[in-house]
Order: sequence, then C-alpha cells, then structure tokens
Amino acid sequence: MTRAVVDAGADPSGTRLEQSIARVLTSGSYAAIALLAVGFALMLASGIGPLAGGPRFDPAAIPGDLLALRPTGFLWLGLIVVVATPASRVLAALIGYARRGERRMVTVAALILLVIALSVVVATRLEG
Amino acid sequence: MPDGLLLLGGGIAAGVFGSLLGLGGGILIVPLLTLGFGLPLIKAVGVSLVCVIMTSGAAAGVYLERRVANLRLGMTLELFTAIGALVGGLIAFLLPEHLLELIFTGLLVYTAATMARRREPAPPAPEDAPAGGGEPAAVEPAASSFQETLSGPGYRIHRLGWGLVGSVVAGLASALLGIGGGLVKVPTMHAIMGVPLRVATATSNLMIGITASASAIIYLIRGGIDPFVAAPTAIGVFIGASVGSRTAHRIRLGVLRGLFVAILLYTAWQMLQRAFA
Repeated sequence: MTRAVVDAGADPSGTRLEQSIARVLTSGSYAAIALLAVGFALMLASGIGPLAGGPRFDPAAIPGDLLALRPTGFLWLGLIVVVATPASRVLAALIGYARRGERRMVTVAALILLVIALSVVVATRLEG
Repeated sequence: MPDGLLLLGGGIAAGVFGSLLGLGGGILIVPLLTLGFGLPLIKAVGVSLVCVIMTSGAAAGVYLERRVANLRLGMTLELFTAIGALVGGLIAFLLPEHLLELIFTGLLVYTAATMARRREPAPPAPEDAPAGGGEPAAVEPAASSFQETLSGPGYRIHRLGWGLVGSVVAGLASALLGIGGGLVKVPTMHAIMGVPLRVATATSNLMIGITASASAIIYLIRGGIDPFVAAPTAIGVFIGASVGSRTAHRIRLGVLRGLFVAILLYTAWQMLQRAFA
C-alpha cells in the first residue's frame, strides 16, 4: 500500500489536515458572502445602481469606507476575502504538510503561494 | 425592478442551473452580464471569476470533509493551473474584445455538444458524493515515487505530465473566459490520468479557487471587477448553487439538459453576432 493510500484512507493526521482546510474554505466563503451582503444592502439603501460603474480598487480607502458605513468598503473587503480564501487554504496545507515533514508537498504549496504573490506584484506594477 | 435585484435574480438562476447540471456558473454568468446587462466582456469575466471562487469554496469544503477530493493531486495540478491563469490574466487585457467573444462562442458550442452527448447523471452534489474516491481504476506501476504519492484509494495516477499540460490550458481558459476550467480539468484527470470521475469532479472543484484567484487578483487590481455588479451576482449565484445542490435529486435532468443545450446554442449565436457587430 502506498503512502498516499494510507493518507487518504485511514491516516488521522491526513483527516485532520483536510478538515482544517475545509474549515478555512467554508468560513472564508461565509465571511465573504456576509460582507458582500452588507455592502449590497447599503448599496440598495443608498440608491446606488449597479450598472452606474463602480469605483476603482483602492485598498487605502477601505478602512475609512468601513468606518463611514459606505457600501464600497464592505464590497471591496468582501472581494478581497473571496480572492484570498483559496490562498489561505494553501497556507493551511503548507503548515499541515510542514508539521508532517512532507517536503515535496510543502514545496508545491510554497510555489503556489509564490505564483499568487507574483500575480499581485505584476498587476500592481502594470497599474502603477 | 432595480438592476441590483435583477442581477441577484440572474445570479440565482445561473447558480441553480449550473449546480443542477454540474457546471460552474461562469459559462452562464458571462453571457448574462454581456448580453443581458451590456457589460464589456472583460468586466463580465472579472465578475464571473469572483462567482466561480465563491461557489467552489463552499462546495470544495464539503468535498474535503467527505474525503472525496484528492488534496495532494489537486495541489500539484493547481500549481500549473495558477501559472496558466497568471499568464491568461495578463493576456486578457491585451486581446481585442471581439476575439474573446469568438473564443467564448466556441466554448458555448463545445459545452452544448458535451451536454448533448452526456448520458451519465450530472456529477453528484457534495451532499450526495460518496467517500473513498469512487470506483477503482486499473492498477499499473507508477512512473515515479512522487506520482505514486498522488494516487488515492483504489486508483493510481498515470501520465502526470499530460495532467500538468492540461492544467496550464485550464488555467488559461479560466482567466480568459471567466470559467472554473472544469471542462478541461475533469476530462484530463478522468480520461488521461485515470482518476475516478467522482474524485476528478471533486478535485477539480477544489482546484477552481486557486485557478480563478490567480487571475481574479489581476482583474481586481487592474479595474476588471466592478464591485457594484459583483456583489449582487455573486450573492445570487451562491444562493442558487445552494438551492440547486439540494434539489438536484428531485429534478428530471434529461429534460433540463435538453433545455440547457438549446439555451447554450442560442447564447452562442447571440455572442457570435456581438463579436461581429
């Protein structure tokens, strides 16, 4: 029996890892939907039409918008949570595999996070 | 009715249909936003990527808890879908819109043909999916020890190299067209790599998040995601997908599939006209 078969079938640490990753995904999804729902409700209350054209992404404005209960703050934060949740799942897997001493899977997870970081850097440079 | 509620309703419809027929929402959301609400394709793709991540996240969590998805295989392949998505996300802003519309028309026709040929039931909803990785595949010696560690209970992984190539293509398609890429990933894993269909479907779902987020980040930072459109659409798709997964067992999918093929072909015709307009 291969190591993978053991992991996928009966290894309790494998089960724990998958369960913790599942929790990250589920909680991230529900947090994002809650933030988007609040933002959408504030949009409707403010009479903002969705097809009027939304603002550009400006992370620096988010805290102020949140404090002022402006819809854009909740909407951008919700969208950040949406795109960050899969990367959080990979980070959780990286930590889990590191604890188990699985170097190859740690390397795979680290490379995925590197590609995601590269997306941020490249897009920011192109916009700048 | 306010446009926000129309977007919410459209998102719910796309989520229900997509969930019942085992498709991600992207194939429906992009035409909904471009043909229904007049959005530029690049903005529709950005919103669609958000919806795809939202719906896959919750479903993938359930698949993992039930041990249907193969985490190791998914992570290995998603490294390459992410690379494809990064490249695709950058190319998308350079390509002319009518070319993207033509490519999307091809995708709609391909999906309609695939749906028309499909005989087996749609992939199971997370609630119905059995644990254990599905039926066993033929057992052959693995090519490398790393490839062997990616195998699951009752099946071994073959032709990992082709799987990596297919993953890059899936990532490119996802970034350019706003889809999850399951149309490429599931056949690659099942037919080429020997992964049981249920495991391939669940693992593809798990991979969608990273695949789509690699390009969604580029769309977000470069102004390709409108938060006012994204919020009602994503909420609608999330609700629709939840309803669809709970009612799938009560619906006669044969009739629904026929209707869906007709809708896809009609949408393809509309998209083609838009490309040449």
